[in-house]
Amino acid sequence: MPKPITLLIGALGGDGGGVLCDWIVSAAQSRGLGVQATQIPGVAQRTGATTYYVEVMPAGAAPSSVLALNPAIGEVDIALATELLEAGRMIFNGFVTPDRTTLIASTHRVLAIGERMAMGDGSFDVGRLLRAVKERSREQILFDMDQAAEESGGVLNAVLLGALAGSGRLPIPDGAFEAAIRHAGKSVDTNLAAFAFGRGHARGELEQAVREHRKRQTAVQGVADLIERARRTYPATSLDVVEEGIRRLTAYQDRRYAALYLDRLDAIAALGSAELLREVARHLAVRMSFEDVIRVAQAKTSADRLARVRAEVRAKGHEPLEVTEHFKPGIEEIAAILPPAMARRLIDWGRRTGRLGKTYFSMHVRTTTILGFARLRLVAGLRWWRPRTSRYVEEQAEIERWLGQIRAAAPLGLDLAREIAESARLIKGYGDTHKRGLDNYRRIGDEVIAPALAGRMTPRAAADAVANARVAALADPEGESLAKTLAAIAAAAPRMPQAAE
Amino acid sequence: MLDQPAAQLPVSQRTNPERSFSEEVRALRLGDGEVFRGEGILAVTKAILQSGVSYVGGYQGAPVSHLVDVLVESQDLLDELGVHLETCTNESSAAALLGASINYPMRGCVTWKSIVGTNVAADALSNLASPGVIGGALIVVGEDYGEGASVIQERTQAYALKSSVWLMDPRPSLPTMVRCTEKAFELSEATNTPVMMELRIRACHVTGEFVAKDNVPPAISRNHRLAEPAAHNYDRISHPPSTYAHEKIKVEVRQPAAERFIVEHGLNEHLPGERSDLGIIVQGGITNVLVRGLDRLEVEGKIPTLVLNVTHPLAPDQIADFCKGKRAVLVVEEGAPDYIEQAIHVLLRKRDIDTKIYGKDVLPMAGEYTAEVVTEGLLKFFAQSANDIDLSGPRERFEAARAGRTEAQRLLGGPLPLRPPGFCVGCPERPVFSAIKLLEREVGKVHISSDIGCHSFATLAPFNLGNSILGFGMSLAAAGAVAPVMQKRTISVMGDGGFWHNGLLSGVASSMFNRGDRVLVIMQNGYTSATGAQFIPNTSGNRRDGETTSDIAATLKAMGVGWLRTIRTYNVGTMLKTLREAMSTDDKGLKVIVADGECQLARQRRIRPQIAAQLKRGERVVRTRYGVDDEVCTGDHSCIRLSGCPSLVVKPSPDPLRSDPVASVNNGCVGCGLCGEVADAAVLCPSFYKADIVQNATWWDRLKWKVRSKVIGAMAGA
Repeated sequence: MPKPITLLIGALGGDGGGVLCDWIVSAAQSRGLGVQATQIPGVAQRTGATTYYVEVMPAGAAPSSVLALNPAIGEVDIALATELLEAGRMIFNGFVTPDRTTLIASTHRVLAIGERMAMGDGSFDVGRLLRAVKERSREQILFDMDQAAEESGGVLNAVLLGALAGSGRLPIPDGAFEAAIRHAGKSVDTNLAAFAFGRGHARGELEQAVREHRKRQTAVQGVADLIERARRTYPATSLDVVEEGIRRLTAYQDRRYAALYLDRLDAIAALGSAELLREVARHLAVRMSFEDVIRVAQAKTSADRLARVRAEVRAKGHEPLEVTEHFKPGIEEIAAILPPAMARRLIDWGRRTGRLGKTYFSMHVRTTTILGFARLRLVAGLRWWRPRTSRYVEEQAEIERWLGQIRAAAPLGLDLAREIAESARLIKGYGDTHKRGLDNYRRIGDEVIAPALAGRMTPRAAADAVANARVAALADPEGESLAKTLAAIAAAAPRMPQAAE
Repeated sequence: MLDQPAAQLPVSQRTNPERSFSEEVRALRLGDGEVFRGEGILAVTKAILQSGVSYVGGYQGAPVSHLVDVLVESQDLLDELGVHLETCTNESSAAALLGASINYPMRGCVTWKSIVGTNVAADALSNLASPGVIGGALIVVGEDYGEGASVIQERTQAYALKSSVWLMDPRPSLPTMVRCTEKAFELSEATNTPVMMELRIRACHVTGEFVAKDNVPPAISRNHRLAEPAAHNYDRISHPPSTYAHEKIKVEVRQPAAERFIVEHGLNEHLPGERSDLGIIVQGGITNVLVRGLDRLEVEGKIPTLVLNVTHPLAPDQIADFCKGKRAVLVVEEGAPDYIEQAIHVLLRKRDIDTKIYGKDVLPMAGEYTAEVVTEGLLKFFAQSANDIDLSGPRERFEAARAGRTEAQRLLGGPLPLRPPGFCVGCPERPVFSAIKLLEREVGKVHISSDIGCHSFATLAPFNLGNSILGFGMSLAAAGAVAPVMQKRTISVMGDGGFWHNGLLSGVASSMFNRGDRVLVIMQNGYTSATGAQFIPNTSGNRRDGETTSDIAATLKAMGVGWLRTIRTYNVGTMLKTLREAMSTDDKGLKVIVADGECQLARQRRIRPQIAAQLKRGERVVRTRYGVDDEVCTGDHSCIRLSGCPSLVVKPSPDPLRSDPVASVNNGCVGCGLCGEVADAAVLCPSFYKADIVQNATWWDRLKWKVRSKVIGAMAGA
């Protein structure tokens, strides 16, 4: 008995998997082929993943009376996925096999909620996905169908249908698929365009434009001499980072501040590790350009920002745009830009009256109006005042402490020094987020780094401990993982015999 | 508080969004000899009309929602035929609808999702089954079991057994499903018993074709009304002493009649095979999986198979005849307990037939019978009962596929990120849970009693809120014994669908009556959104007219609820304040917050065509959406943990010095403003901005824009 050709489709809710299924069924029916499809639509919500299963009898075969409703492991001829992780899921579940399955999948990623809500980078390793895709399927048709859909002005499911047609794995000519799109009668022109794009990609007739994620350099003038100084003294491998640091800090504050950056780096360069220098240069530039209201105002009023917003929200041609910014400074944000003594008094008052962490000033500023923009510009103009602010003084002290730890750790072990440098990654954000990150950073400093520098752990173990603590601090905002990890580190650290006196 | 999206309708004006079943409606009109093409559930709907039903009713739920949904759109056809359609407010009301067939010779069909719907309907079902029916009564249940199921995993079979209702489980092929539907009415009338027909998820959505027949207008109907009610007959009342008689009639008269009918009309199917010493008995609904499994082992067509399209009652003679003379028979019966296998054991034992029965010993007791599970069971069955069949080749291939999967999982290195269902972009229910999360930051963890509906997604990431789900509309009742032992008040969350389904009486009335000191949040979006945006009593009208039937706040007031607030959900700050007040007020009674926000899916369906038309006419339209300044965002993703909006994504940081990805709003944004609201209410960060893009700008817009961008450009450059 001739066997059916089996198709499994993995899609996200809202990807149009059902419509794709209908097109395939309709095209097969129009050729007189036996066909059966079924699906697990579940709840129709957006974020779930779902599958569709289709069986098509080969040409010339009598339509079988019993077609299966469930895919079977090792028995799928064609697997279609609208997204890379969903291709991975079909592989994970054993449906895609190297002896049989043609895998047709989009390479773009739509991150799952677990990946998005991570406190750092929680995305699944794409390298692993791609390796599994290549090793676990017979042949592959892979391209970024999301982008192809955008280029064609259509929707992803039509691109995928085109890729299926282009694969030549079904005894259905292109014309029958196109007729199915026409017959369905919705967005016919754009769907046909997307179909043609998909088919062209599958047949290798179209080149995939690579989607770029370009890093943005800070634009600033008059730092040529500082850059020259860096080039003279530092190894080439760290220069891209150091030069960006110079530009960033000049724009953030001034040339003098950028020079301070280089002075600080000189002491690190003297430790002799280019790798360590690069890491410290990166984190130091970020730490020195800490986020205060002045910096936010600078960012929101920078010269290229409006063009960026227009592109991001896809405002066309000369469509007027109104941008409203959301600010909610509290007592701490205000104290941050006051001189230390005044700041202390304000914070004390806030604490006494219970207003600290309670009283905020919600402000909505429209930066596309002249007055709104001017207000922020005024705040951005406070840059000259910044070195007198309490936040500046605190940050510099914290930075010096951190640099001191790195310098002290380097002779013990470069790994430990690098991990201490990397722990600065925990400090980010605003308000509570910043406070939480800083608290975690300080806890690791007190409970892991300090004992390590005091020689109470081997440098190797200390480096691991700092790394583990950093990962744990990023695991959950409640700090449960960090508490557990710190306890484990404390328990594992061998008690060094104390001097008798 | 931020600016809110415009164009939200007050609840009393919300109407069913545009959903088009025009293709399906056409299919229902097909006549004699025409070929029907479509899904299983639509084929069953067509078969109902071909059977001459007088009335149809039901309560929506996957996978059988379409039955009523399509009929709602087919009002013209129903009017022509005279068929009455009742969109019931719960399954109990749907089951009670069948009461019409107790006294009158008219056919009726109702539908719901099982097992949950059958549970709700159980009281009426028992009272229907006891006196029995004279008009054919069919209940189409969506057996929501296995992959994609959203309810507890139990079997409808239990109800069929205990109430003496017949249960069909047709082989998922359209001609078989259609024939079973038509025969179900005949069986029901021949035995005075309601018939249930269970359809699994894949069977409801399976595509196929069959040759249609003309629809049959019922003899008694809206178009042909009865002059007189039925004569009083106490035998038809389910009260003693009638009930004592009913119990006996069920087993002495009706069941034997059903057993005869099943055999005489060939409802179960024999698939022939050359191995007369072996056999398989399978539920109709699992047949395709079984056949493919046999095919995989290269024994397809060799093993005689009895396909039970009716799984209750079994026809004892048919089973005995099938087993007689066989060494071994495998029973393929999905789900626990193994009612059919046990019955076959007893039946054979009583007749001294010594055929060895295999079943749950080689197949798992619980869980879906997927292709892999059945293939493995078959391998075990043949190994124990027929080792003369050489299965080494197929077994090797099967094992290789499994080993390949292990290898694939090793390559992928551990489990893949899950994609739990979540709230849609712009969902009005999401802000309520953001507010609850913020409330918990202040007062600590709160016991949250969850319910059925879209809002149950809050029990998943990123909210992870909710301690229990006890059934549809049950969340307030489920807090009944928790609230009195808790220092903090409990919060019950319920949808408006759940409120009308059950929550009003089981929850609100009971809590008021018992002076419960609890908090109830009712999500008022205007539809039962999780099942496809069906009408409910507080929607604007029902399918017939635009009058709102019942208002929730008015209903609660009439019931004596003293502390009642209606809040627009998107105002996270206000919602938080209201929740705080509800948790701390001195009022000791029930505190109800009606969280009002139109279902965004419905809203988008409604306004998208309107906006497209406006744009086409050249009218000024302001498009609002949100964005994140990637230069200000530092990549902590607190905003995502507090909202989880699908359009709030992450992208690589454009900053050459930072490695953590930053948040970003993608083009799916509908401008609901929640991300900005949350950033504001939780004091997160200044990264969010709102962008209003003026399409088809007026000369004044353009002039303003020109002047502003000139001046701003000059200031920025300065």
